[in-house]
Amino acid sequence: MESFLSLMDGFATALTPINLMWSLVGVTLGTLIGILPGIGPALTIALLLPVTRTLDPTGAFIMFAGLYYGAMYGSSTTSILLNTPGESGSIMTAIEGNLMARQGRGAAALATAAIGSFVAGTLGTLALTFLAPLFVKLALLFGPAEYFSLMVLAFTTVSVLLGASKSRGLAALFLGLAFGLVGTDILTGQPRLVFGYPSLLRGIDIVVVAVGLFAVGEALFMASQARLRSAEILPIKGSLFMTREEWRRSWKPWLRGAGIGFPFGALPAGGTEIPTFLSYFLEKKLTKHPEEFGRGAIEGVAGPEAANNAAVAGVLVPLLALGLPTSATAAILLAAFEQYNLQPGPLLFAGNSTLVWGLIASLYIGNVMLLVLNLPLVGLWVRLLTIPQPLLYGGILIFSTLGVYSLSNSTFDLVLLFIVGFIGFLMRRHEFPVAPCIIGLILGPFAEAHFRRALSISQGDPSVFFTHPLSASLLALAAAVIIVPIILRRTRYA
Amino acid sequence: MNTKQSIAGAGLAIGLGLVAIASVIGFETMQMRVPPSYARVGPQIFPYIIAIGMALAGGFIAWKSYRGGDDVIDDVEPTDWKNVGIIVLGLIVHMNLLRPLGFVPAGLVLFMSVAFAFGSRRYGRDAIVGFLLVLFAYIGFTYGLGLQLPPGILKGLL
Repeated sequence: MESFLSLMDGFATALTPINLMWSLVGVTLGTLIGILPGIGPALTIALLLPVTRTLDPTGAFIMFAGLYYGAMYGSSTTSILLNTPGESGSIMTAIEGNLMARQGRGAAALATAAIGSFVAGTLGTLALTFLAPLFVKLALLFGPAEYFSLMVLAFTTVSVLLGASKSRGLAALFLGLAFGLVGTDILTGQPRLVFGYPSLLRGIDIVVVAVGLFAVGEALFMASQARLRSAEILPIKGSLFMTREEWRRSWKPWLRGAGIGFPFGALPAGGTEIPTFLSYFLEKKLTKHPEEFGRGAIEGVAGPEAANNAAVAGVLVPLLALGLPTSATAAILLAAFEQYNLQPGPLLFAGNSTLVWGLIASLYIGNVMLLVLNLPLVGLWVRLLTIPQPLLYGGILIFSTLGVYSLSNSTFDLVLLFIVGFIGFLMRRHEFPVAPCIIGLILGPFAEAHFRRALSISQGDPSVFFTHPLSASLLALAAAVIIVPIILRRTRYA
Repeated sequence: MNTKQSIAGAGLAIGLGLVAIASVIGFETMQMRVPPSYARVGPQIFPYIIAIGMALAGGFIAWKSYRGGDDVIDDVEPTDWKNVGIIVLGLIVHMNLLRPLGFVPAGLVLFMSVAFAFGSRRYGRDAIVGFLLVLFAYIGFTYGLGLQLPPGILKGLL
């Protein structure tokens, strides 16, 4: 009931003309970058950070959240028609969706993806509305030791569950943590890892790292792999109005997808990859038409797409209530909160309730806008796919260098961008996941602050992390995430 | 040398590179002079933990690649280093031209180099699209958003 009243206040904020405009800007931009290959929500929000510094934070976050939701809608279109997933959460959609498009059922695939995204996005937002205040109550139980242990859990799950191997994920995480160390130590004012460069004293900006890894690294990788660049755009065939049979086969996967997606997004388990994957295999198992899987089954599009959008709503729960990002985009959003001197968590809900509830209410509105943008207007968006790749990547790099240079008008940042970009290229080439690196960079300084605060309260006694029951169980979970799969593998081979 | 061997070699190099970065972090942290009041819970603990973690992860990757047990990547296409080099060159020229010549010419060079690396040989089209894009970006960001981009040789014209 409390949530309901707050939500009504939120709608009062979100429905003002200016905030409706920010929402529309966000969802439109999100759909655009979701459809365009090579540019995603994390990169776009990172590029927008320098230019939104002077904006009203409520408007800015309404735009960012709309952008995050919109990117998930848009990327399904690219998966289905181009077979190159725009975002990692659409990899599963690409399998059956592209096959449907090849058989002339592209319109039905787009429709079930868009409507499924709407249904799951709305259900996810509803769950967010009522769960976020509960998470805030939980957060009140947390002291520095618990926060630190929670972050350790997030670090391990994100590193272990994403990417090709555990060692790669952990290496990416430690690289991000190391980037986060550079600069002046907040507590003592001492320079760390600056190697005598005064420009490094203020640290490596998140924008430089995000743009380097996502834009420069990606461009270098795509240029190096000629095979990845030839993709055929399929025309939209069939009717966007789904038949009764298609509705009948879609609604259960939508609901199941939402049910899988939301909790996985809310847990520190790395965003959208795992729930979409699970949803695909669940639908494959439950379907009454197993012969269609591998030849374009509508359930294989409806489930993962729903899971994808519900997961995004789930990601916002720990981000808003605990300040804990569980995906790369959420990490950039945390950086945006930092930019406005806002601290997600109980304080944000108490002191900036207009912002939080305006943001949550705007998600309901954004979902409606996105359904309209992506279903009747899908034909317009598809034209974006005809932009030649050389021009697209040329443009991405122009805006990337522009955004990084404008951080502090220094060419030094461009040198850093270049170095990080090359690291990003190597990571992409050797299948190191990028998300742990971004999360390590953003969350590392927070983790260190909590770590040192906990230790100074206990006067240097490190046993605090193991004697507080909540902290100890979080650390035990983190250890289990690493050890259990190893034991399982051993026993299977034995 | 076939692709698989070169990938294993690269894995070894990356693993050892991570160990090297970790040693640099550890060494730099050791050089820090910390006031005694912070000696227990100071700014050095976290860097040490990160250095050890990175060295372990890097060492494991190097060891696995050396033993040939890294079977995750086996079907990577040969890398076209020429295209990578062209973009790298474009970025280096861009950062050196930005101040002296200005945002528009430097951006155009970068745009053209990326387009070339992505296989475009329609120089006229690329130049026109690139020029318009860079020009509109310059005008939009300086006049619209108040960013200070270097005008360079076009100073006075824009």
